[in-house]
Amino acid sequence: MRRLRGILVRVASQLRGHRANDDFDAELESHIAMHTDDGMRTGLSLEEARRQALVRLGGADQTRQAWRERRGLPWIESPLRDLHYGVRTLRKHPGITAIAMLSIGLGIGANATIFSIVSRFVLRPAPVGSPSTLMSLRVRHEGSPCCDEFSLPLYTDFHEEAKSFSDVAAYFEVVPASISGSGEPERVWGQAVTPNFFSVLQLPMILGRGFVSGEENQPVILLGARLWQRRFHADPAIIGKTILLSGRTFTVVGIVPPGFHSVDQLLNGEFWVPLGNAAQLVPGLGNQTSREFTWLAVAARLKPDVTPEQASMEIQTLGKRLALAYPKAYKESSFVLEQAGTLPQGIKSQVLIFLTVLLVVVLLVLAIAGANVANLLFAQAATRQREMAVRLALGATRVRLCRQMLVESVLLGLGGGVLGTVLSLWATRSLSAFHLPIPVPVDLSVAVDGRVLLYAFVLSVFSGLLLGLPPAWAASRHTLVNAIKGEDALARPGRRRLTLRNFLTISQVAMTLVLLCPTLLFLRSLQGAARISIGFRPERLLTLSVDPRLHGYTAERTVQFLEELRSRAAVLPGVVSVDCTDYAPLSLGHRAESFHVNGAVETGNQEPIADLYMVTPSYFETMGIPLIAGLRFGEETATGPRIAVVNQAFAERLFHGQNPVGQQVIGAGVTYQIVGVSGNVRSRTLGEDIRPVLYRSLRQSVGGDPSLFGYTLLVHTAAESNAISEGVNRQVHALDPSIAIFNEETMEEHVRSAYFLPRLAATLFGVFGGIGLVLATIGLYGVMSYAVSRRTREIGIRMAVGAEPGMVERLVLHQGMVLTLIAIALGWPVAWMLAKLAASFLYGVQAHDALTFAAVPIFLAVIAFFACWVPARRAAMVDPVQALRAE
Amino acid sequence: VGDKTDVWQGTLALMVLKTLETMGPQHGYGLARRIEQTSGDQLQLNYGTLYPALLKLEQEGYIRSRWGSSENNRRAKFYELTKAGQRQVRKAAAEWEQTTAILARFIAPAEEV
Repeated sequence: MRRLRGILVRVASQLRGHRANDDFDAELESHIAMHTDDGMRTGLSLEEARRQALVRLGGADQTRQAWRERRGLPWIESPLRDLHYGVRTLRKHPGITAIAMLSIGLGIGANATIFSIVSRFVLRPAPVGSPSTLMSLRVRHEGSPCCDEFSLPLYTDFHEEAKSFSDVAAYFEVVPASISGSGEPERVWGQAVTPNFFSVLQLPMILGRGFVSGEENQPVILLGARLWQRRFHADPAIIGKTILLSGRTFTVVGIVPPGFHSVDQLLNGEFWVPLGNAAQLVPGLGNQTSREFTWLAVAARLKPDVTPEQASMEIQTLGKRLALAYPKAYKESSFVLEQAGTLPQGIKSQVLIFLTVLLVVVLLVLAIAGANVANLLFAQAATRQREMAVRLALGATRVRLCRQMLVESVLLGLGGGVLGTVLSLWATRSLSAFHLPIPVPVDLSVAVDGRVLLYAFVLSVFSGLLLGLPPAWAASRHTLVNAIKGEDALARPGRRRLTLRNFLTISQVAMTLVLLCPTLLFLRSLQGAARISIGFRPERLLTLSVDPRLHGYTAERTVQFLEELRSRAAVLPGVVSVDCTDYAPLSLGHRAESFHVNGAVETGNQEPIADLYMVTPSYFETMGIPLIAGLRFGEETATGPRIAVVNQAFAERLFHGQNPVGQQVIGAGVTYQIVGVSGNVRSRTLGEDIRPVLYRSLRQSVGGDPSLFGYTLLVHTAAESNAISEGVNRQVHALDPSIAIFNEETMEEHVRSAYFLPRLAATLFGVFGGIGLVLATIGLYGVMSYAVSRRTREIGIRMAVGAEPGMVERLVLHQGMVLTLIAIALGWPVAWMLAKLAASFLYGVQAHDALTFAAVPIFLAVIAFFACWVPARRAAMVDPVQALRAE
Repeated sequence: VGDKTDVWQGTLALMVLKTLETMGPQHGYGLARRIEQTSGDQLQLNYGTLYPALLKLEQEGYIRSRWGSSENNRRAKFYELTKAGQRQVRKAAAEWEQTTAILARFIAPAEEV
């Protein structure tokens, strides 16, 4: 305790400053005076008495020093002094400091940006209470990709029988609804949950209460904080009031905290209702008592003393028991237990590879930046050698000098870190603007959070230390006499062939090559993606969606509404044609079904899966998809025999090139008569292999298989499609003012967001590659300029004894280009090997694209040539007389 | 900074505290002279080391200081024990006696043999 008090007092006096020193001076003075008095009393002279007093004291200055060290905390004080000195040195060289900080800042900024993606999608725990014990459960069927959701009976089994969990909740992840009230009706997404959902999540409401048991079928609702603010002005009196959701009355019982949108952190849910309401809100949901209908996500809370492994073992046993009881449903199934809120299994590995590649790339950027700064610091260390030598001569230890220089480089690192964090704030904001081309709202926003700040901080300090260490050590080398004489050891040319500076330059150029190869690959991939034939014409097409079903429309009335809307919109000025579909292509996929030819022998082979689209008669003309054979849809009746148009890929897969028109195919128990064949389109994503597609009549399909995502109106216009949007909107509301309009965009905008992946990759690599190139160019230029300025005297002598300017120029160029060629020879194979990792993200270009791997080295060599040529010119213009006189 | 100084510092602190206990408030110079006298002039104190020791004791709260005037009417800083200091003197003195007693047992038999 006493020691602690002592330390606190010392810290305090460290902060207080110099007054106490004066006090001690007075005390010492009085001590010496009293001692002198005593001495004079024994007969000594004043001088002698004072001299003896000082001797016995052991010297006034030494005493003061001892006292001062005791008073404050010397091990804090001297680093503070280093810091002070460091700041002063950095300010003395604003140019070098600015370039160094900018370099590190770009590097740290790139790293912080990518790490904020990692932090958001990989590291961030689910926004629930104790996320580590909240598990999600899924079913894996042998031989098919992971994973399936639960059926309601299966959930009930788990809820009753699984002993590893304190409670198990189930929820239907996407419930569309239209919310009316004041202002335009709005389509929102929510989730239907078992009443124990929020207690399993351990998530208290910010207002009101959560659901309680017994409320399974009650018309009660929890609102997301954002929805509450947006539509109800954050009015606390809303609790207990009723609101209209898709035409039904619900009583608001609570407000969900703003940070929670869904357990998986991707879906953007805005309201929650008890599970019993799902069937009403989602007509055509399916048979809830069936074990075939897998629609529920499951969240389970581990009991306090149960590990995930134990729980996993228990549910496998439970699974075996269920497989015996229901062999049809679970014979080849296993159950997957993972921490809730982590990336979905299906995309996890892809995302992780992508992020790993990005992390490596940004570390390369930082390394290139670091090499730049290290070179700068080296140059600076060389010029400071005399200062160092003088300080060594005055008794500073080598460790002390190193510490001094390290403080400077860490300051540079931290300055760069601050700059980088600011850059990444901006970068994450622009990244958040990317969105997926799907109708379900997904939250992909990234932001700089605490983990990112910590990462940036550690990275800054670490790079500061790493950068400062070699120059610090070198500069404080015992070259005392030489340095004081004015010769400097670091700058002496021609001693060692591979100096550290050359090594840095080589690695920098090599890393740039490794960085530029994927950059060009991804730029070519973006170009390749633009060349992909999507199969339809995106120009002059306006899309907007409505979901009459959410407003209580029956199937017949929905069809009627859409027909009416089509004919009303078709007569608007500037409109060429209007059609309806359930889902625009390139939206990552929607309905798909396996098909076989009616009457064909069962081969036992996997049946081909085709994407299903509902369309209205002139769909193919409106979309610009060619009709290759047969007819389009016409005057079929809703209850008549089902007809379909298939694409060429469908015809090839099922009919092996024979004419399918007139044949029948069966999918999901429905028989379709094929009446026509259309051209191929990219159905789900740009990069996919062409999929079989079956177009069915909207009129015939709404009743039996309604779309979960509403219906999209496609308006083909004569000119730019934006202007017409208001007119169409007015027609919708003229038909029914309560209908919510959503996903309104031009088809070109939609296709642009389908370029999400190639565009994201090309943007990121383009930026990072560009930064790397600029940094490496500056680095090479810096090294060559420095070499020239250091060799001025040598060049002067060479010229004085008859060297031509051209020869001097060639000498410098030669030196720079040798470094560059070594770097290219080292970097090229590495880039070649790494390119394989990028293969799965490329469109229309091979990973080992010949053009890329030929062009990048040449390009880099040309850039390097110019970076060396400028200093070489300067060398050639050295005036020998001036050069020799200057030294 | 070796072990010697540490031991010395420890004993010096006890000497200072004990002297203050018997003499009452004292200034630095007076304390130094008094310690030398008490030791029968066997200790040649480097007066400069006394002040950091006093500062340490003050920081730890065993003594406090105030300015006053000496018997010869010189301004001087006087140190006196605090309550905690009085407790510490008794405690440290007891510990010291025990230490010396133990050491004495090691040294005395060796002389007998």
